[in-house]
Amino acid sequence: MSLKAAARLLKRAQREFTGNETRRVDLGFPITQNGMKMLIINNLHAAVGEKPILKGIDLEVRAGEVHAIMGPNGSGKSTLSNVLAGREEVSVTAGSVQYLGQDLLALDVESRARAGVFLAFQYPVEIPGVGNVYLLKAALNAQRKHRGLPELDAMDFLALVKDKMKLMEMNESMLYRSVNEGFSGGEKKRNEILQMAVLEPRLAILDETDSGLDIDALKIVSHGVNSLRSPERAMILVTHYQRLLDYIKPDYVHVLAGGRIVRSGGPELALELEKQGYSWVAQEGQEAQRGSGNATHE
Amino acid sequence: MPLMSDIVAHYQSQFEQHRNAWSWSGDHSWQAWRQAGWNAFVARGFPSQRQEEWKYTNLAALEKLLLSCEPCVPDPLIWDRLAPQILLPTAQRIVLVDGVFMPQLSRLQELPSGVKVEPISAGAQRQGVYLRDLLQQACHTTPFGALNTALVSEGVWISLEPDAAMLEPLLVVHVTTRAHRATHGVNIIELADRSKLTVVEQSIGLTDQPYFVNLVSRWSLGESAQLEHIKLQQEGERSYHIALTQASQQRSSQLSSHTFALQGNLGRNDLQVSLQAPGAFVRLKGLYRVGGKQLQDIHTSIRHESPDCGSDESFKGILADSGRAVFNGKIFVAPQAQRTVSQQSNHNLLLSDLAEVDTKPQLEIFADDVKCAHGATVGQLDAEQWFYLRSRGIEAALARTLLIEAFALDIVASVPAYPVRTALEELLRGLIHE
Repeated sequence: MSLKAAARLLKRAQREFTGNETRRVDLGFPITQNGMKMLIINNLHAAVGEKPILKGIDLEVRAGEVHAIMGPNGSGKSTLSNVLAGREEVSVTAGSVQYLGQDLLALDVESRARAGVFLAFQYPVEIPGVGNVYLLKAALNAQRKHRGLPELDAMDFLALVKDKMKLMEMNESMLYRSVNEGFSGGEKKRNEILQMAVLEPRLAILDETDSGLDIDALKIVSHGVNSLRSPERAMILVTHYQRLLDYIKPDYVHVLAGGRIVRSGGPELALELEKQGYSWVAQEGQEAQRGSGNATHE
Repeated sequence: MPLMSDIVAHYQSQFEQHRNAWSWSGDHSWQAWRQAGWNAFVARGFPSQRQEEWKYTNLAALEKLLLSCEPCVPDPLIWDRLAPQILLPTAQRIVLVDGVFMPQLSRLQELPSGVKVEPISAGAQRQGVYLRDLLQQACHTTPFGALNTALVSEGVWISLEPDAAMLEPLLVVHVTTRAHRATHGVNIIELADRSKLTVVEQSIGLTDQPYFVNLVSRWSLGESAQLEHIKLQQEGERSYHIALTQASQQRSSQLSSHTFALQGNLGRNDLQVSLQAPGAFVRLKGLYRVGGKQLQDIHTSIRHESPDCGSDESFKGILADSGRAVFNGKIFVAPQAQRTVSQQSNHNLLLSDLAEVDTKPQLEIFADDVKCAHGATVGQLDAEQWFYLRSRGIEAALARTLLIEAFALDIVASVPAYPVRTALEELLRGLIHE
């Protein structure tokens, strides 16, 4: 059976799986459960400046699932992460993104975060002068407030953060340093996952989280991510290399090329990519583009 | 004598009326001293933008104000309004209101031994010759310094004996309560060898009407003396605050001065430091913040007169609305001042398209074995940092405030005295979150 056929079967299986529809509580934070449709990306086109990058992405992600999005450089992986997180430099030119039944693209950046979307940055930003602990507290309390929960007091907050820091094998002194300032590459990525652990998002998008990590840091980060896997949470791992997927097992792997998903499959697809490289994918990407080109002329 | 402008004529009438009014300066030698200041002011004239030193700072509005420096008796009941503004309520302090020493509002009972804090009026009668010599040097270098000598009513004289140390901060508070008032004050700080002092200078306005505060400060640091100075400019919304500070430093002395020009219509700070013997080190830092149509002008001059001295200078500015700022940082390195290490930076955050800053490093280096670095930036809030904070759920406006706060608090972080630093942090947070 060819890969394409496998992907088709998989898609059909996905469609036939009837999860519970989104239920929303009055507090404005969604309750999710395993199998519930969390993210539905439909024919998404997006451009950076005048340049079209995403050319028709279709993807469905359900609660409890981990999806890996792989692809060569320039295929649009990071653009996809950025569209989901709400980065303003990326403009959506067509298509839609439904997140737990609401139009994700209509929400501003902070509202997405409060609704449970989290982006772990490829290049975490250094913010001199803003304490790491201050950011965590402000973010958590902003989200709690939005959910109608009381702010955590200083003691409970510190206990929570220190607990999560142990998970990430982070030194407590990092709490009192400025956000990511002077952190090593590995420390920055660990700090991203720490934020994720504290904020407990519903949908986590990890953008090239493995890049710049040595093998020890990769193990720690992966351990952190794995411990956050849960039936109520979905994750999208965006990565160039298969290496990360040795540590975080995805349920589905999608291959992005030329701004489209050209292949979808199970974890074995990643292994195949590792063996064959991306050259064949690029070819399919071009074919896909030509295909879409013809389609518009018809 | 050149033709006298209206404003100079006005100041002259003030000078003629009040030159004998201040009790401490009635005797003949003080009169001659004042006259010398007056002559110097007339010779220089009221500054205009044609002068390089005042190129970006328009004083036309101040030039039109006919302010009075007539002696007055302030009401001690203003304490109720003043108290909430005092940075460290339990610290020892000397308070001057509208140019008058207020013993009832001051707290000077618990000074350590070897530390003397008194109004100039008291010291002048005891040590007039000494004081006149001390102030003479300051008076003629700027027009307002000269005017200050002619019209000064009162001041603060702080002196520390050798090895004396005051570890708790001392507050020097200048308050203006009256509209249309001009107050000419002085601050003298003399640190004998190895003595140590932390002083917080607050300039507070309790009126929203126009007024003018004109201060001259003279600091001298003996061998291995240490002065930590923090200035807080919290003037009224239609105020003019002009201050000239001159410091001289002996061998291995250390001066750290932080200037926070936070509130007021127009502010001008001239900071002039002379490093006169090996091992002397100065750190000049500051933050200016303008909005509306406010202006803050910082002119610094650090003179490396001796080998093996160091200077570290960093000023930051936050400019909103149509606010304007000027930074002019002069570093002079004399031919003999080998092995000078000097660093200067000026960073500005523009929060509006209408805000404007004129920043100018001015290095004059005549020695060849020196390390001198300088840099100036003018920029906006970092879009990446803003996005990052928002992507964690922090509201856009709060994220912006946090970034402004981070930019500003960087200057506070280098204030060594702990109680002052935390009080400043709180004050700045309050202002930025307003």
